[in-house]
Amino acid sequence: MSLLNVKDLQVHFPIRGGFFRRVVDQVRAVDGVNFELEPGETYGLVGESGCGKTTTGRAIIGLNKATGGEVLFNGENLATMNGHDRKKHIRDIQMIFQDPYSSLNGRKNVLNIIAEPLRNFERLSPKEELTRVQNMIERVGLSPESIYKYPHQFSGGQRQRIGIARALMLNPKLIIADEPVSALDVSVQAQVLNFMREIQKDFGLTYLFISHDLGVIKHICDRIGIMYKGRFVEEGTAEDVYTNPQHLYTKRLIAAIPEMDPVKRFEKMELREQINVAYRTEYDSYFDKDGRMFDLKPLTPTHSVAVHQGGM
Amino acid sequence: MVKFIFRRLLVMIPQLFLLSLIIFVLAKQMPGDAVTGAFMGNPNVTPEQVEKIREQYGLNDPWYVQYGAWVGKAVKGDLGQSYTHKQPVTSLLAGRVANTITLSLFVLIVSYAVAIPLGILAGRWSDTWVDKLIVTYNYFSFATPLFVFALLMLFVFGFILGWFPTGGSVDIRIESGTFAQFMSKLHHLVLPGLSGALLATFGTIQYLRNDIIDTKLKDFVKTARSKGVPEGKVYTRHILRNSLLPIAAFLGYEITGLIGGSIFLEVIFSYPGLGQLFIQSITGRDFTVVTAIVMISGAAVIVGTMLSDVILSAIDPRIRIE
Amino acid sequence: MVTVNQKELIAKEKANNPSLLKTIWREIRHDKLALVSLVLLLGIIITAYSSPLFIDQEQLQRVNFLETWEKPSETHLLGTDDGGRDVFGQLLLGTRNSFTIGLSVTLIAGLFGLTIGLIAGYFGGFVDNIIMRIIDFLMVLPSLMFIIVFIVIVPDYSVFTFVLMMSAFAWFGKARLIRSKGLAERELDYINASKTLGTPSWKIMVFEMFPNLSSLVIVNMTLTLAVNIGLETSLTFLGFGLPASTPSLGTLIAFATNPDIVQNKWWVWLPASLLILVMMLCINYIGQAVKRASDARQRLA
Repeated sequence: MSLLNVKDLQVHFPIRGGFFRRVVDQVRAVDGVNFELEPGETYGLVGESGCGKTTTGRAIIGLNKATGGEVLFNGENLATMNGHDRKKHIRDIQMIFQDPYSSLNGRKNVLNIIAEPLRNFERLSPKEELTRVQNMIERVGLSPESIYKYPHQFSGGQRQRIGIARALMLNPKLIIADEPVSALDVSVQAQVLNFMREIQKDFGLTYLFISHDLGVIKHICDRIGIMYKGRFVEEGTAEDVYTNPQHLYTKRLIAAIPEMDPVKRFEKMELREQINVAYRTEYDSYFDKDGRMFDLKPLTPTHSVAVHQGGM
Repeated sequence: MVKFIFRRLLVMIPQLFLLSLIIFVLAKQMPGDAVTGAFMGNPNVTPEQVEKIREQYGLNDPWYVQYGAWVGKAVKGDLGQSYTHKQPVTSLLAGRVANTITLSLFVLIVSYAVAIPLGILAGRWSDTWVDKLIVTYNYFSFATPLFVFALLMLFVFGFILGWFPTGGSVDIRIESGTFAQFMSKLHHLVLPGLSGALLATFGTIQYLRNDIIDTKLKDFVKTARSKGVPEGKVYTRHILRNSLLPIAAFLGYEITGLIGGSIFLEVIFSYPGLGQLFIQSITGRDFTVVTAIVMISGAAVIVGTMLSDVILSAIDPRIRIE
Repeated sequence: MVTVNQKELIAKEKANNPSLLKTIWREIRHDKLALVSLVLLLGIIITAYSSPLFIDQEQLQRVNFLETWEKPSETHLLGTDDGGRDVFGQLLLGTRNSFTIGLSVTLIAGLFGLTIGLIAGYFGGFVDNIIMRIIDFLMVLPSLMFIIVFIVIVPDYSVFTFVLMMSAFAWFGKARLIRSKGLAERELDYINASKTLGTPSWKIMVFEMFPNLSSLVIVNMTLTLAVNIGLETSLTFLGFGLPASTPSLGTLIAFATNPDIVQNKWWVWLPASLLILVMMLCINYIGQAVKRASDARQRLA
């Protein structure tokens, strides 16, 4: 059984207007998303800003309310659970946030930040708590003496490690990482990514990795889902998506990765030209008359694309 | 825009309704009513007769019938009878309202006349001694309770120096309708008006100073300077145009403060306005008058706030979103 | 496990991260005017609160018709009032009562406004909408008149109900302030993080959101302390405050509603007026220093 199974997830926000502030329309931030996560894998969710990838992650953990569909975690539907029942399952799902500055409360020291989940779920003596926090802080590569320091005394990369330590404290099964490295310097990004991989093995974690950075996603993910305007356009292994992109949008995204080799630059420019031509001529086979994507159709057992019924 | 004004007007209706309901409930809680008031201390009226008259006046009806009748009368301008003054509340209030409005207008005009130049000076020459002086004055005007300041003004300028009259709104010996009477009115207005105005400058000065200091560092002002616009023109054309406009809109919000302030000013300077009448009536247990004054004041604040909201939204479209 | 070593560590980090109180003290020390204000205010308050040690309250309240309206002299430092009571003694007791009441109103209204503001700011949306509609309405009531009307019609009027009446009309400004800052905080990820960590809402409000708003609350409370002392003395001045048996600074100033007293018996009301003025200015200067301390960009120290 898969660890997480998202079925036809929808998150719609109402637009109010008119004289009496009635709901006149909906913003379909997430509009029918399906995917599964197997234990131990890293699943990448990619797309441009505003495509709904973050909202998907937030809906799974409960920060946004799902307006439709199911979020099955170990077979139990989190989307329709009330707060009390949810709490029992939520300790198995944790989140790493994008901004290492605003995601740590500046008024609390590291000990209090990392111990917060422990205090919610386990009754420990101060001594036990201290030992566990110190072990964890060492595990994420910070000195145990720093637990009385405050967040502003750390660098961005160190802060992100504190955030990761906090998320790991309850030994979760699934971690939703929402752009965990995009606020960091490029030199620090690789460090944090490698570290995340390391702890994935040690703690047996499953990652839902949300990013707009195709390079980062390629580096860390086993499988990838490409999102556009609240829907999936393509899903497959990293290999499938990067070497054999099928959907027009995916092709455009891949073609937009900057090319380091000067010789290949002209090839790439030509490729972009071709895609632009294809965009004009083949538009109808990728988008329906409302400009909405079609449902995913399997191409190979691992690779699916959102195209019109009856092929390309 | 029209939509916003309409919605804002619509918000006013429940506000006025709630206000009148609260005041009605309070009025019911006040000891005594129109009938007991009118016959109080009259030994020739037996309790049975009083009960009969109560029945006639509808005072034994259920509360919502009474409320309906009260609102219906009030809308037509009938606010009941004052038993201490033995006359309709409406005619009693008429003269008082005029006096209070005169005083409030005087306070407003003087406070703007003082606050706008000072605010601009402090903003333009921020962190100089001029600014420090103005800021110190502003602390003072924020911190000082109105009644203390007004009393000190009365003591110094009214009694010790004797420059101004110490009470009343006009010298009654002067023939009405003459220019001398107008001057006498003005003379009576100066001391209470100044006392109110000098403390009412706080908000305007602080707003103007902060806004100008903020604006003068903005890019569009720097652009104007780098184009070679003379410093004086930078202020008149670019900065003040943005900073002064909202002040016009704050007028309506000032009404709450003016009503509260008029109570103290009128009591201290024995100025025959609404505030003084309010205190006299509540001390004399003339609750019909009290109810009417609270209702009028509340309605004035509600209407004033609405006007300010509308003007502000006309100036600054961002506010309209809500 | 909290060894000597641990304690040292804690102490070291405390020195690196001074508390708000320490920052405020540092700011006041660097601002001469604020320091003078603090010393002066503390002097006034300590004298006023210790006055029962050397003033017999019962004797002070006793009417003595042989000594009415006496001018300041050695026996009566600030003279006597219409009942021959010592003005200086009343001034001290009045300061104590006025300050206590102003402080109580500030604390009660502050606590209530803070709670409502935190709830509106944390939950936002529908809850916020309802609360704000109510506050919008309360803001347009002519509050002074309403307080006076309430005071007149309330049965069993006492100092306690007086404090409650004033508090009832003093909380909504604070609630609005806290709410608008709270709405901004709620968008930050540390609040989201606490939610995903399973922390209950009330705990997030009190232990996560509130500490980040605390400097705002302290600044606001200091400045409104002055306003509330002003409100109490104003109401007492008008005759709707403390009962005559409990002297307030307003009681003494209320003598000044009579022109003869304003002009000829200044020792009764003038000292109290000046004392209020001095206290208000002191509190405000301290408040400004507190305000600067809470904002790193404005600090002098």
